[in-house]
Amino acid sequence: MTRWRPTGGLRRCLAVGVLGLALAVALGDAVLVVLTAPFLLLGALALMHRPASSPTVTARLDHQWMHEGQGTRSRLLVSDLDGVEHVTRMATPAPYVATHPAHGRLGRLVVGGSGLPVLEVSPRRWGRRILGHEDVALTSRWAGFRWGPVPLVGSQLQVLPVRAPYDSRAEAPQPLGLVGAHRSRRIGSGSEFSGIRPFQAGDRLRRINWRVSLRTRHLHVVTARAEEDTGVLLVVDALADHGRSGGMGGTASSLDVTVRAGAALAEHHVRRGDRVSLRVIGPKRISEVGFGTGERHLRSLLGRLSMVGPGESRTFGRARPTFGVTGGTVVIVLSPMLSDAVATATATLVRRGLPVVVIDTLPGGLSLQVAEGTDPRVAGLAWRMRLLERDQVLARLASLGCPVVAWRGPGTVDDVMRRLARRAQLPQVRVP
Amino acid sequence: MTRGWTPAQLVLRGTIVAGVMAALVATGLRGVWPAWWLIVLVGGLAVAFALVPEAPMGTVATGLVLAWWGLAFRDGPHPQALLAAAGLLVAHVAAVLAGYGPRELPLDRMTVRLWVVRGAVVFLAAPAVFAVASLLRGQPEPVGIWVAGLAAALVTTVAAGLVLTESSREP
Repeated sequence: MTRWRPTGGLRRCLAVGVLGLALAVALGDAVLVVLTAPFLLLGALALMHRPASSPTVTARLDHQWMHEGQGTRSRLLVSDLDGVEHVTRMATPAPYVATHPAHGRLGRLVVGGSGLPVLEVSPRRWGRRILGHEDVALTSRWAGFRWGPVPLVGSQLQVLPVRAPYDSRAEAPQPLGLVGAHRSRRIGSGSEFSGIRPFQAGDRLRRINWRVSLRTRHLHVVTARAEEDTGVLLVVDALADHGRSGGMGGTASSLDVTVRAGAALAEHHVRRGDRVSLRVIGPKRISEVGFGTGERHLRSLLGRLSMVGPGESRTFGRARPTFGVTGGTVVIVLSPMLSDAVATATATLVRRGLPVVVIDTLPGGLSLQVAEGTDPRVAGLAWRMRLLERDQVLARLASLGCPVVAWRGPGTVDDVMRRLARRAQLPQVRVP
Repeated sequence: MTRGWTPAQLVLRGTIVAGVMAALVATGLRGVWPAWWLIVLVGGLAVAFALVPEAPMGTVATGLVLAWWGLAFRDGPHPQALLAAAGLLVAHVAAVLAGYGPRELPLDRMTVRLWVVRGAVVFLAAPAVFAVASLLRGQPEPVGIWVAGLAAALVTTVAAGLVLTESSREP
């Protein structure tokens, strides 16, 4: 159990003081008292200020949910600071967590119960981050006694993906919903001109086109296209993480690109009022967030994205995946397309007639990581072959009518969405 | 060996070694130099003291310096003793500052300032004792003065021992 223990400084003061006095008595030399007097004084002052408190030390983060790259503070909470003069914090580094100071060591004088050292923390990658454990030592006045070092378990931080700058002006290809921002093929009460037709009972009078009505001698009204929201399904491929993540500002792995792109797309569509759903093809199961809108739903989406971890799926690929999407839903697949199962699932969705866009999240210039004991030449050859197979898969998807674009931030899907929208307006013939 | 040390910590550790060695060789100012083996021994202990300020090596090094001062002169206190007292005190204060944390711990300016002031105030005890010893020099010793001194040392030892033992036994 932690208690106040004498410091090495106090032991030294007392030992030197007693030794000096004993030698002075034994040798009959007053010079030793001269040398010893400051030590005796320091020892006496340290003994006089021996604390009687039993402090409890805990650490608390100002924020436990935050986006990668943001910063917060880890504060110490000490229950009883009576007699405490100095506080030392020694935090061990944690992966993808930057601290200030960088080495995580802090020492401060405690003046009037305040001035406890504060550690500034900034997560550099999305996910669940556990700060390194730290040791805290309290020292009494005149450095006579020390409490601890008390080990503290590292706090947990849920780090949401960074809000990447993203915007898109493209409309959904087949919007099918209620009120929204996308032009629908249906006639409705929007502002986009659709056509002119004869007046029918129930038409609004302000819709009458008087010029055409006078010319034809029959009442005609202007019709407009409805403006509806759309469903957006984000499919995140978390079966593997290719490349090495350097956190914010560093190199990005495939999962980094996938998760950050997913977060940007989710935020964009939720802000536009669309219904957004998420399916993560990951190690345990296809975790999902159902369709929804609003700020709370966006937080759910980002929270689920931040919990993505790479790993093989035991269930995905064995049976035909059911994504639970209906007509009109835009499917955006975020994947490096190195998994046959994901490619098959994407092709299945395309064949169902859904507008599907694949965002290629394999980072360019990926450096090959070779496992120990593997010949780098063989590994390099295997990787090149794998990339050739991937190119074939992407070409086949494109031939099915599924556009594949690399993630490049704002406007990534604008062009392909417009093309999909134009294609959706063309008459289609389905072979039964 | 000094990888990861902050510059301030290096200065502190150097101050510890310099303080102890200055206290040892201060007798040389009156022409009495310590033997080379004593310099090497105390130097080694001072370096160990600087590396691990909380370890008992510092006590041993300081004790050897005290013993040397007790053996070097038999003709009363000399002003050089003040220099030695300052050296030992500076080494001790530097060790206290270094002992606040690991070697990577940056020094807090307020803490350094506090201990510089404390060291300066505490050091005043040395010239005060030196002045008293100089005044009493050559006068007949009161009967039992050294016995009283020994008793004071014993009482201090017992009191300190009791306090330290009590703090170690506390749950």
